[in-house]
Parts: sequence; C-alpha cells; structure tokens
Amino acid sequence: MKNFFKVPLLLIAPMVLGLLSGCERPPIETVQTGFRGTGMEQIYNPRTLLKQAALNQAPEAAEAASSDGPKASEVYKNVQVLGDLSVSQFNRHMAAITQWVSPDAGCAYCHNVQNFADDGKYTKVVARRMIQMTQRVNQDWKTHVAETGVTCYTCHRGNNIPTNVWFAPKDREYAGGALGDLAGQNIASTQAGLSSLPFDPFTPYLKDAAAIRVNGNEAMAGIGKSANRASIKQTEHTYSLMLHMSESLGVNCTYCHNTRNFQSWEESRPQRVTSWYGIRMARDLNNDYMTPLTKTFPPERLGPKGDVAKVNCTTCHQGAYKPLYGAPMAKNFPELQALAKP
Amino acid sequence: MAQYQNLFTSVQPVGPLHHGVDLPRGDEKRLGTPFLFHLLGRIGNAQIGPVYLGTLGVASLIFGIAAFNIIGLNMLASVDWNPIQMLRQLFWLALEPPAPAYGLSIPPLNQGGWWLITGSMLTVSILLWWTRTYRRARQLGLGTHVAWAYAAAIWLFLVCGFFRPVMMGSWSEAVPFGIFPHLDWTSAISLRYGNLFYNPFHALSIVFLYGSVLLFAMHGGTILAVSRYGGEREIEQIVDRGTASERAALFWRWTMGFNATMESIHRWAWWFAVLCPLVGGIGILLTGTVVDNWYLWSVKHHVVPAYPLVSPAVIDPAILGVKP
Amino acid sequence: MAMLSFERKYRVRGGTLFGGDLFDFWVGPFYVGFFGITTMFFALSGTMMILWGAAMGPTWNVWQINIAPPDIAYGLRFAPMMEGGLWQLITVCAIGSFVSWALREVEICRKLGMGLHVPVAFGMAILAYVSLQVIRPVLMGAWGHAFPYGIYSHLDWVSNTAYQYLHFHYNPWHMIAVTLFFATVLALSMHGGLVLSATNPGKGKVVKSPEHEDTFFRDLIGYSVGTLGIHRLGLFLALAGVWFGIVCIVVSGPFWTGAWPEWWGWWLNMPIWRT
Repeated sequence: MKNFFKVPLLLIAPMVLGLLSGCERPPIETVQTGFRGTGMEQIYNPRTLLKQAALNQAPEAAEAASSDGPKASEVYKNVQVLGDLSVSQFNRHMAAITQWVSPDAGCAYCHNVQNFADDGKYTKVVARRMIQMTQRVNQDWKTHVAETGVTCYTCHRGNNIPTNVWFAPKDREYAGGALGDLAGQNIASTQAGLSSLPFDPFTPYLKDAAAIRVNGNEAMAGIGKSANRASIKQTEHTYSLMLHMSESLGVNCTYCHNTRNFQSWEESRPQRVTSWYGIRMARDLNNDYMTPLTKTFPPERLGPKGDVAKVNCTTCHQGAYKPLYGAPMAKNFPELQALAKP
Repeated sequence: MAQYQNLFTSVQPVGPLHHGVDLPRGDEKRLGTPFLFHLLGRIGNAQIGPVYLGTLGVASLIFGIAAFNIIGLNMLASVDWNPIQMLRQLFWLALEPPAPAYGLSIPPLNQGGWWLITGSMLTVSILLWWTRTYRRARQLGLGTHVAWAYAAAIWLFLVCGFFRPVMMGSWSEAVPFGIFPHLDWTSAISLRYGNLFYNPFHALSIVFLYGSVLLFAMHGGTILAVSRYGGEREIEQIVDRGTASERAALFWRWTMGFNATMESIHRWAWWFAVLCPLVGGIGILLTGTVVDNWYLWSVKHHVVPAYPLVSPAVIDPAILGVKP
Repeated sequence: MAMLSFERKYRVRGGTLFGGDLFDFWVGPFYVGFFGITTMFFALSGTMMILWGAAMGPTWNVWQINIAPPDIAYGLRFAPMMEGGLWQLITVCAIGSFVSWALREVEICRKLGMGLHVPVAFGMAILAYVSLQVIRPVLMGAWGHAFPYGIYSHLDWVSNTAYQYLHFHYNPWHMIAVTLFFATVLALSMHGGLVLSATNPGKGKVVKSPEHEDTFFRDLIGYSVGTLGIHRLGLFLALAGVWFGIVCIVVSGPFWTGAWPEWWGWWLNMPIWRT
C-alpha cells in the first residue's frame, strides 16, 4: 500500500508548496466584459480590493472659500499662477497642496518661511509648473480624464515625490562589453512586471513617439513598400508597455481588447480609446512639463543618467482602473480645471 | 482485495549485467562498467551503462557543451558575474539574437555575435547527434526510424532558428536562449502575426501534440493492462501474436469499433509524434513570410466566428486625429 | 458481422458492472453493455442539442458554429435555453457520455481479464473536462467561466482566458504541463521508432530482439528504460501532463487573480538574495 501513495504524493506535494507560496483563495469577483463564453473578464480578489480601496481614498476637501475680496496676485508678491483667485481661495489652495504634497514638511517644503515670495527653493519653481501641468490635464486631456480630472494628490498622495515615477535605466555593461549584453531585456524587473520582457517600455512610448502598433491590415505578407516591417522584438517592446498599463490599472488585456484580434478597434472596448489618449497625454506631460524641469531639480532628484523623473500610467493610477477609483477630487478645485488665459 | 497494477516492480531479479549486443568491426569499445540503480529498477531497467562514445558522439558533445557554456557565461556576465544573482534570475536570463538593424549580417560579438556562434555550434552538435542516432541503429542492424523521428524535431528547431530568420532577412526573428525569454518570443510571434491559434498548421500541430499524449496514455495503459500476459514483449507479440495482443486489440475494437495491431500502433505513435513538429514547423515557416496576419487570413477563408457586440462601437482615434 | 480471426473465443459473458446479462452483447464490433446504452443516450441527446443550437444560430459553417455558456450574471443558476441553457444541457450530456464510456471500458476490461489502466487514464481526461467546465466555474461562482462549444470559438476563449493573467506562459504549473506534454511526444516518437526499427530492420535483415532495443539506447544515452518501463513512463508522462494542466487552470482565477509573471515575486524576493 506504500507504493499507492507515492505517485499522488509526488504530484500533490509540489502543488501544495506552490499554493502556499503566496497564492490566493476563493471566493473571487469577476466582471464580464465581452460576449458570453469569449473569456473576456476582469478578475478581482475582493480582499485585495478592500485593502486597495482603503489605500486609495481621496482626502476631504476643505469647504470652498469665498471669492470676495482682492485677488491673490494683488496682495501677494511673485504670484505667477493662480493669481486670479481671491486671497482666501488662494490660501485654501496652498493648504491643500501642503496636505497633498508635503504634509510633514509643511509650507517650508516649497517656501522660504521668512519670505514666502522667494523662489530660492527649487520645489517652489517645480510646484508652479506642476500647477500648470495639472490645469493642462484637466483642460486639454478630457479625452483621458473626462470630468473626473486630477489634482496634485492624484500623483503625490501625500508624498514629496510620487511613489511611482520612472527614470531612464542605467546602462548595464559588464565584462568590458565583451559578453552579457542584456539587449534591454532578459532580467527580472519590476518595470516589466517581473517578466523578462524589455525593462524600459517608457522611453520609446511615453516619452518618444515610437510606433506601438505592430499588426498589419492585410492577411498576406506584403512585398516592398506595403510590407509590415515590425519585428518580433518590437512586439516584445509593445507587450512590455501593455503589461505596464495592465498592472497600473489593475486590469487585464481583455479590459480593452478581444485578444483573438488585438488590433481591431471594432472588436475592442471603448476603454481602449481612453487609453490611447492616455499614452499621448503621458508623452505631453513628460516632454512639455517634466523634461524642461530637468535643470531645476538638484542632482539627487535625477535618475542614474541625469534625467528628470517622468510619469507613466502607475504614477496616477497606482493599481486602480481610475485613479482613486474615480473620486472626483478636481471638482472641488475649479482653479485646477483650466490654464490661465495668456 | 487490492490488486497489483504493475505500476512499480516490487521484486527485482538481479542477474549478470548486459554489455550490449556485439557491434561490428570498425566500432569503438563501449565505455563504462554497467551498474544497477535499484530505485530505477522499480520503474524500468535498473542497469545504467555502458555507453557508446564514438567520434560522432564526442564531437557532438564538444560542440554542445561549448554552446551551453557560451550561453551560461553570457548569462553570468549579464548579472555582473554574481553567481547568486545568476541562480536567482536564472529563468529570466538569456543570450539574445541580434537587433533587427543587423539584418542577416554578422553583428559584433556582444550584440548578437555570441548568439550566432552558439546557434551554429548547437546546430552542428544536433546534426552530429542525429548522425549518431542513425549510425548506432545501422551498426546494430536496426531500422533508422528513431533517427528520422529526430529529424522532424530538428526540422522545427531549424525553422525557428535558421530557415525562417533567413527568409525574413533578419537574425533578430530567431529565438533567444533563455527560459522565460523564449516564452516571451512565443507570445510575441503570436501577437505580431495576428494570433497563431488562427494558423491552421499550428492548430493541426496541436492536434498531433494532444493526440500523441492521448495515444501514449492509451498505448501505455493498454500494454500495462495486458502485461500479465507478457504484452510488453512487443517484438515477440508482433511476429507471433499471443493472447496479450489479442486482448489489447479486442479491447479497442469492442470500445471504438476498430483496432490497431501490435505493430501498427507503433506506426500510429510514430506518425502522430513526428507530425507534431513537422506540421508545426511548416506553420512557423509560413508565418511572416507568406501570411502577415493569421486572423485576417482566417477571415478571408470564412472560418472566423462572429459574436454579437456588447460594447458601444469603437473607432480608431488615430483616424480622428490627436487632441488637443 | 465478421469478427477478427481469433475473436470468437473471447466473446464470453461476464465482467459487467451493472445490468447482468441484459445488455451483455455486441452490435457489430462494438460492445454494448448497460453503459453502451447510456453512452448512446447521452451522446445522441448531446449531439442533437448541438445540432439544434447550430440551427438556431447564424451559421452552419462547421468552423463558426458556437454554443456559448450563460452570462456570468446568471451565476450557478440554470439559464434560459437560448441564453446558455442549451450549453448547460449539452455539458450534462457530455459528462454523462464520457463517464458512461469510461465505465463501458471497465466492463470490457473485466470481460477480457485486463487491468483497468485505460479507463483510469481516460478518467484523467474526463477530470480535465470536468475541471474546466464544472469545478473551476463553481469555484468562481458562475457557469459563464467555462469554454464554449465551437471549433474556433473555444480557441478565442483560451486566448482571452490566458490573457486575463497577462502572460500565461509564466504560470509555473503550465510550464510543467507543457514540459510533460513535449516529453510525452518525445518519448512516443522514441518508443514508436525503436519498436519499428527492431521489427523493420530493412530488406533482407532479420527481426531484432529486445536486447538490441536496450543496446541501442544504452549506446546512445547510457540508459534504456526497457519494454515494460517505457509503457509505465509513457502513461505517467501523459497523465502527469494532463494533471498539471488541470492544476494550472484550476489555480488561475480561484487561487490566483493577478498576472502570472508577478507570482514569481516570492522567489525573487526571498530574503537571502532580494535586491
């Protein structure tokens, strides 16, 4: 009878060990996103969701301040943005920023408290530009943020620096360059979601405007000019970006696509359009707002190659399909909804 | 009452070890003193060795070990020679083929040159080994069926690593040497070419893959079920059909209306197993060279099922232009 | 109906599990038995329902016919016929006919004085089907998680279900199952090849012996598993492959909701070597 248990044991033991190594348990929640039987579903662990929901709460907004009285730009010196707000609105906004970005350091994080107008700290210069960036997102990128919009909190979440920003990865060259070229992939990296796919999908697609699409529109392989020249390697780069987007939003590929035909927009869900705009928005923010600030930041805030911190999907989304699960923070701060008229 | 199922040998008779059928003149002497490994004997033969190590075998091993070492050293170098990281990240590490920009030209060593060298050495090793399987069979007076089955596997290996990249004009299309990276390649080729599930050769290859698993379960189970009649003595049963073969055949005849013979089941087996890589290789070879998008190809050939739309209609925003 | 030359002496009564002599007969080469009747009942009903479903659908193109499970919103309830109920009935018939087939195989084995290895092996395949269409959906709370009945539509389900986990190749149980599947094909080609090479040595040559078979593999790789061992090995590789396939899909969803590459975090983050 001893022999009887050997085979099942050999099969069950590794499975049990695997299960014990950080797996989950039923019941789970699922949301169908396609026709029945196609397997297009979102899968959630309700216990994880509860924890995540608790971590992704929007803070209470202070009551709206009165717009009566002189403008902030008339009363305070060196007010370059938000000058049209009343003093109480302006102060309310400053209090909010402090709560969103520097709750511990307080006003002193950006300001010289002897002279609030002084631009000596780089943080004040950066913050000014970031207010404009926030206004830009809410005004011009409604194709991505709709009426929910964003505030500083969406990225910063009470931190001086958002927990999820990216830098260009440092060059890895060992063995004097004779061996061991990584070719931009083939290590375990969190940027690639612990896969061995390319570990920097951000530079080509969220800073530069490299082509993401790799599929052609013809069944047969073309010749000459009509040939689809995308390579398998290029596809791996796109795949890595897609992995990042999925992980950032806590969704899977079927949230946007019917994977039997990834490229088809007719078979995709509307969320894919929102995502398309999100990619362009990230490029806009990285190129027009972040990169020009490179020299403003001190060296310790820059990446290993001296580049500035940049945004990707995780910066705002942080694991939620909508940042803060769609809490409409921005509506409490109309001053962030539009760029000032020149 | 519990019945013995002949899954593990409970009593192992031990006799003189077998030094192998005599080889013809011209062959080397066999290497090693055979010994018994009891635990192995509970499943199959307990005897390990002797092995035949001739010129072909030694040459194959030299090329193979060299290829293996080049891969390993490149992996180790890619983690800055840290053996702990090598073990930790082993499944993620790889020796990568050159970038697409190099086309079919020979790239610098560290930009795909090592991959090219490794691929060549591994190919030589594999072809030498093939010759060995052919020669050993011939020297023992056997048919060369094993060698030709191996050739089908070599076909798929060469399609993935050589023929298709050459036809595509780019070494970069070939498979990297690495555990997870070669799986990334598999996903990527399907993503690039419009979903390989819609490649009919791929589908047929899977039929033969699953079919082989089915067949070995059937054949293995059948022989074990008649092992009490000496069913595993297949050669004997083929030339002189005994009650084992008769019962085995009748089991299947009564179950599904037809049956193989003790010999023909091995032909079914050989063909199913061989057709898996053979057909699969054809499917890969056609991908990108003839067909750019298997889903669209399947639409053209009227095999794609339609589903009712459940989302509002979606239009490609690139056509509409970028905001703002 | 003509029997094989040696068949008559094996056609004896007995071995039945149920029903005694009532169904203990053959129709042509097929053994009937009580479970032959139940097989025919379930298989014919199921097939009729598939055909009816196809007739109610948009096409008779055999590649495009699709009979889909219910929406997930129906949970584990019975759905209206045209909204997945038909799928549910077909699934019941499928399980009924598969189990009947296995039990019929048992009766045939008993009649022929054979071990029950084949129906047990088939049981693993039935377990795979039941895991996909019953066990996993029940664990996930809805029949809608099962695969549809359609040649290409079931592949669409495989694709989407796999991409729910972003990169299914990283599922460790899937990796083991695939390895075992490929090992099975390898072993099958070697076994088929070896037996044929001994019995078909070429024109004018004499048929060889198991000693030649063993010598071939010992010469080649230093070890030969032998005539009995290869059948144990083949059966094991095949069944283990299916078993780990079952594990890999039952775990996906009920016991793991994230991306499969992320599962490897436990290995990468072990205190002895985390970076």
